[in-house]
Amino acid sequence: MILLADAVNTAIIGKGLMIGGGFIGPGIGIGIIGGNYMAAVGRNPEASKFLGQALVFIAIIELFALLAFASIFIVK
Amino acid sequence: MVGLFGGFASSGPVVYITSKDIFTIHGIEITNSIFYGWICGVILLVILITLARRMTLKPKGGLTQYVEIGVSYISTLVESSFEDPKRGTKYVPYFVTLFFFLLFNNWLGLVPGVGEAIKIHGNPLLRPFTGDLNATLAVGIVTMGLVYFASIKEAGAKDYLKHFFIGNPLNPMYLFLGIIEMFTDMTRVISLSIRLFLNVTIGEIVIAVFAYLGSFLAPVTAAPFTIIELFVGALQAYIFVILSVMYLAIAVNHATAEHSLDLTDELVTERIGLETENA
Repeated sequence: MILLADAVNTAIIGKGLMIGGGFIGPGIGIGIIGGNYMAAVGRNPEASKFLGQALVFIAIIELFALLAFASIFIVK
Repeated sequence: MVGLFGGFASSGPVVYITSKDIFTIHGIEITNSIFYGWICGVILLVILITLARRMTLKPKGGLTQYVEIGVSYISTLVESSFEDPKRGTKYVPYFVTLFFFLLFNNWLGLVPGVGEAIKIHGNPLLRPFTGDLNATLAVGIVTMGLVYFASIKEAGAKDYLKHFFIGNPLNPMYLFLGIIEMFTDMTRVISLSIRLFLNVTIGEIVIAVFAYLGSFLAPVTAAPFTIIELFVGALQAYIFVILSVMYLAIAVNHATAEHSLDLTDELVTERIGLETENA
């Protein structure tokens, strides 16, 4: 195990896992919001005026992806 | 030629996450983001005051009407968030100013020459004002300070405190939930400022990475991301404004509602039943 840690740059693996794991959740969340918004517009075209509210929720979710991205500069 | 590309491969893109000191005035260190914030503030004042002087009743076109669209959009947004639109009118100037300040700072951060291009003492001379956590934290604290002050003033301290609790605070469960709600309220400053800071900074980093990957084709590879950042900058200014308006409107609407909504009242279930039957 010690040899592995010497041979491999574990920080790179950690950063890769963090980016991958941290982006899955917000990706799913934004997909759900966008899909439901498009379903609502398809069902009732009047609902297209709620795009601003959908964007607000997307921005709230997006914060977590950005936090994961910002964390790769802290991991050494 | 090989040596040239070898040099590129070994160095990697240069990214700056924090702002750097560029000069001091009487012992106070002035960072590059504050310096560019001053420049942007002056540009914003000059442009908006000039446009306000040129404002006419019948639109003449030009840049004026785009600013008017923004102003009327934000003022409608603020007024329609309140149950009584007259209550919201006096908050319109602050939120419109906030929107244009953040919008101009986000967009002027994308101008060529900001960042790596112009350097002083090894640090970039200019950095987008909103790409600094201190700056966005200051904007967030001022905004949430206004929100707390205004909602206490509109609703009264007692009603404002009461709006955290869904029932009688003497009940330990509702007391606990109310205290958690208060702590949630305090995280809003952090979440507002961190969202704006990270969006702008990570946009800068993404542009820097793609400009690096393109090497001599840097303008071509970085252009799509710069266009995305134009959209993101406008969206984040809008998000910042709409979230702070919502925080203000929720506190004011909830606390000044004529009938106090007590969900633990025994009569509520009967009332709901009656309403659904009639409907």
